Amino acid sequence: MSKFGRGTGFAITALVAGMSVAGMSWAGVTDKDILNDQMTTDDVVSNGLGPKGQRFSPLKRVNTDTVKDLRPVWSFSFGGEKQRGQESQPMVKDGVMYVTGSYSRVFAIDVKTGDELWQYDARLPDGIMPCCDVINRGVALFGDLVIFGSLDAKLIALNAKTGKVVWKKKVADYKAGYSLTAAPLLVNGKVITGVSGGEFGVVGKVEAYDAKTGKLVWSRPTVEGHMGYIWKDGKKTENGISGGAPGKTWPGDLWKTGGAAPWLGGTYDPDVNLLFFGTGNPAPWNSHLRPGDNLFSSSRLAISPDTGKIVWHFQTTPNDGWDYDGVNEVVSFDYKANGKTIKAAGTADRNGFFYVLNRENGEFIRGFPFVDEITWAKGLDKNGRPIYSEAHRPGNPAASADGKKGKSIRAVPSFLGGKNWMPVSYSKDSGLFYVPSNEWAMDIWNEPVSYKKGAAYLGAGFTIKSLNEDYIGVLRAIDPKTGEEKWRYKNYAPLWGGVLSTAGNLVFMGNPEGYLMAFDAKSGEMKYKFNTGSGIVGSPITWEMDGEQYISVVSGWGGAVPLWGGEVAKRIKHLNQGGSVWTFKLPES
Amino acid sequence: MKRCKRHLALATLCLAAAGQVDARYYDEVIDSGYIRIGTYRDFPPYSFEQDNLPAGVDIEVGKRIATALGVKLQVHWIIPDENLGDDLRNHVWKGHYLDKDPDTPLARKTLADVMMRVPYDRDYAYMRESTGELTNEQVVLFGPYQRESWRIAYDSQKIDEVSTVAVFQYHPIGTEVDSLPAFYLTSAFAGRLRKNTHHFPSMPAAFSAMKQGNVDAVMGMRAEVDWQLHQNSDSRYKIGENGFPMMGKQKWDLGMAVKQSYRQLGYAVEEVVDKMVRSGEMEKIYQNYGLTYEKPGLYQVVE
Repeated sequence: MSKFGRGTGFAITALVAGMSVAGMSWAGVTDKDILNDQMTTDDVVSNGLGPKGQRFSPLKRVNTDTVKDLRPVWSFSFGGEKQRGQESQPMVKDGVMYVTGSYSRVFAIDVKTGDELWQYDARLPDGIMPCCDVINRGVALFGDLVIFGSLDAKLIALNAKTGKVVWKKKVADYKAGYSLTAAPLLVNGKVITGVSGGEFGVVGKVEAYDAKTGKLVWSRPTVEGHMGYIWKDGKKTENGISGGAPGKTWPGDLWKTGGAAPWLGGTYDPDVNLLFFGTGNPAPWNSHLRPGDNLFSSSRLAISPDTGKIVWHFQTTPNDGWDYDGVNEVVSFDYKANGKTIKAAGTADRNGFFYVLNRENGEFIRGFPFVDEITWAKGLDKNGRPIYSEAHRPGNPAASADGKKGKSIRAVPSFLGGKNWMPVSYSKDSGLFYVPSNEWAMDIWNEPVSYKKGAAYLGAGFTIKSLNEDYIGVLRAIDPKTGEEKWRYKNYAPLWGGVLSTAGNLVFMGNPEGYLMAFDAKSGEMKYKFNTGSGIVGSPITWEMDGEQYISVVSGWGGAVPLWGGEVAKRIKHLNQGGSVWTFKLPES
Repeated sequence: MKRCKRHLALATLCLAAAGQVDARYYDEVIDSGYIRIGTYRDFPPYSFEQDNLPAGVDIEVGKRIATALGVKLQVHWIIPDENLGDDLRNHVWKGHYLDKDPDTPLARKTLADVMMRVPYDRDYAYMRESTGELTNEQVVLFGPYQRESWRIAYDSQKIDEVSTVAVFQYHPIGTEVDSLPAFYLTSAFAGRLRKNTHHFPSMPAAFSAMKQGNVDAVMGMRAEVDWQLHQNSDSRYKIGENGFPMMGKQKWDLGMAVKQSYRQLGYAVEEVVDKMVRSGEMEKIYQNYGLTYEKPGLYQVVE
C-alpha cells in the first residue's frame, strides 16, 4: 500500500483504501511472523507482542525525550448502542488493524486513515448468559484469516480482506454455561483456545484446532480424571486421562463438575516448545465441600502443542477458597545467575504472590508478594506452596446450618485479585516486570438468606473494600530476581488494562479515568498522559509504518469491576462508557 | 419480531408485544389487554412447555390472574442467572444487558409485569448492602402462594427405608449441582455423605440416573421430587420419611415480584392470588400435577 495524503476526502480515502487492500499482494501471516513478532516492528500479529507475552517493543523513536509530543492521529468509534467493556488488544498487519469490540464484534481499520474496511457482528443466540460483561480480548491472525472466540463459545475464522466467515466451530455449549472471551493463541498452524465458564458445573479444557480448516486436533481437560483426546487422520483417539485418574485430589464425584476453566487463554515459548495456560477456580466455590488440592484448578499448566499432553503443572492456590483464579498469564524470560542462563517464567497471581518458575520443568525458583498486604497465607514454602492462614479462609457452610449469617472473614487480596486479567509487561532492557495491580480486601461470609431459581440456597455474601483512601490501582516495576519494587505509580480507580514497555525507556498503560499514560521505565516518572474520553481496560500496542512509530489503545470502560457493588463502586460510578480505538504518533519533523 | 423472539419463546404471543416493552403500570396492563407473567423456563412442575404450550403450576396461576384482571396471559420465559437478585434485575426492574436489538436501538428492554416463584422472605426483602442501602429496593416481593421444602425419593429395591439421611453413608444419592441439597450432602455431618453424593445438571437427570440404577435416591425440592414420582408412577420409588437435621433452611414461602413503582398492579394480583389460596383453588392446581400443597406460613398462622 502506498501512502496517500491525509487531505483526501473521506469517501475517496475509504474507496482507495478498500481497493488497495483488495488489490495488494497479500503476504498472509505465517508461523514465523508470529514467532518473530517482537522483533518485526512493522506489525503486531500476536497477543502479547510475541507469543512469550512480554509486551515489549524494541522501538524507540517515541522515548522519554520525545513522548511529550505524542498526539492522536485518529480515533475510531465502535458505534452502536453496544458500549461496554473494551478489553481488546489490536493487531496490525500490512496497513490494516484488526480489533474486537464488546458483544463479539470485529473491526478491520485502515491504519493510515482510521477508516473502517469491514465489520463483523457475531449473531449471538437467545438466552446467552456470560458471567462477567460481554467483553472480548482480541483476535489471532494466520494466513489470510482473522480468528476470534465469540460469547456463545464458538471459534470464528474470517477472511481478513472481506470479513466474511471462512469457518466456524463450536468449542463448547453456551447453554451449559461456556463462553469465549480470550484472544486465541496461534502456534505452528494450530489455533489454541481455552474456555470461560461460571459455576454451572463446567469442566475446563484447552483445545487445538487446525487454523486453516477449523478441525479439532486435540482436546485437553484441565480437571483431573477427564480423558483427553487427539484426532489422528480424522479419528478420535484416547490421549490419556488428565492427572492419571479421577478422585486423587477431589472427594466424591466433584471432579465431574470441577471448573478450572482456562478462560484467559495462554502464551507459548518456542525455546521449550510449551504452551502455558492458567486455570480458574474449582467448583463449588466453598472449599470445605471439596477437601484436597483439586487439581488442576488455580494452576499453571505447561502443555505440549504437538500432543496436547500436560508436561508440568504448578498450582498457586491448592483447595482455593477465595476465588483466586490461577489464570494469569505466564511470561517467558531469561536471566543470568551464576554465569548460567535460567529459562524462567514470571507470573503475577490473583492471590497476591509473584512466582518465578523454571519454564522447562515447572520448578519453583522463588515467589514473593507483589501487593502490600496478604492475609490468606503467611507466605510460601520452599516449593512455592502457600502456608495458609486458616483464620482467613471463608467459613464452612455446615457452620451456618442454624440459618444465621456465617462468620465474616477478611481476605486480602479480594477475589478480583492482586492482579486480574490485565497483562503485565517484561522489558528486556530494564529486566523489570511492570505489573498493573490493585490493593483491595474483601469481607466474605456464608449467606443463608439466599435464593436461586425459586429454591433456598447458600450463597456467599461479600463486599470489596479499598485498603487506602487515595488509591486502589498500583503500577509496579518489579525485579524478578530479587522481588524488589523499583517504583510505583498509584491510581485512584482500580487498574484493569494491560501494560506495554518499549526500548524508548517507556512504559505505557491506560487507566479507568480514561488516560493513556507513559512512564519512564527506570524511574516511574509520568512523562505523558492523554484522556481518551472513556476508561481504558485494553492493552496498548506499538508498531512502525513509513519510518514513524505508532501507539494504539482501545478505550471503553467496563469489565468485571463495575459489576460488583460495595465501596469500590463509589469510585467508578461517574466513569462513562465508550468504545473506540485511539492511534497516536509524533508530529512529522 | 426478532427482538421479541429473544426473550419470548412463544412466537404466537409475541405478535401482541411488538412495540411494547418494559414492565408497566396497572392501567397500561389493563388497557393493553394482556399481562406479561415471568416464569422460569424448563422448570417442571412449576413452568415448562408441554406439547409446545406453556404448562405447570405457575402458568396455571398466571392464567387465573390474567382471567381475573380481564386480560390475556403472555408468558415471559426467564433463564435463571446465578441467584435471585440477578433474576429480579434482569427480568423485573432493569432488564438484561444482552437484551438489545440493533434494528431497534431505542426500544426499551423486555421485562415481566409480574414474576412468579419469588421467595417471600422478609429477611431477604429488607436485606442491606454493606453501605447500608437496601439490596432489593427496586422491587416489591408480595403475595405468598405456596410453601416449599426438601424431599428425598428412593429406590425401594435398593434401600429398605429412609428414616434418616444416615443411610447415605452407605448408599449413593443424586442431586442438582450447585444447589442447597448439594451443599448439604457434601458438608453436613463432617462430610460423611460427601463420597456418596452424585451431582447432576437437573432433578429430572438425577431421577433418571436412579431409574438406571446409578444412584439409590435423589434429593431436591419437594414439588420437583413429587413431579418425578407422579410422572413415573412406579411404587418402587418411594418418598423418604426422613428429616434434614443441620439444614439451615427447612421451609420457605414463594410469592411474586413487581417493580416497586408498579405497586398498584401488585395489589390487584395479590387480591386474586389470596382468594385462590383461601378458596382451595390453589391446592387443586397443585393436586392436578400430583404435588403436595402446603399453604404459606402467613395462612398457617391464621388457621
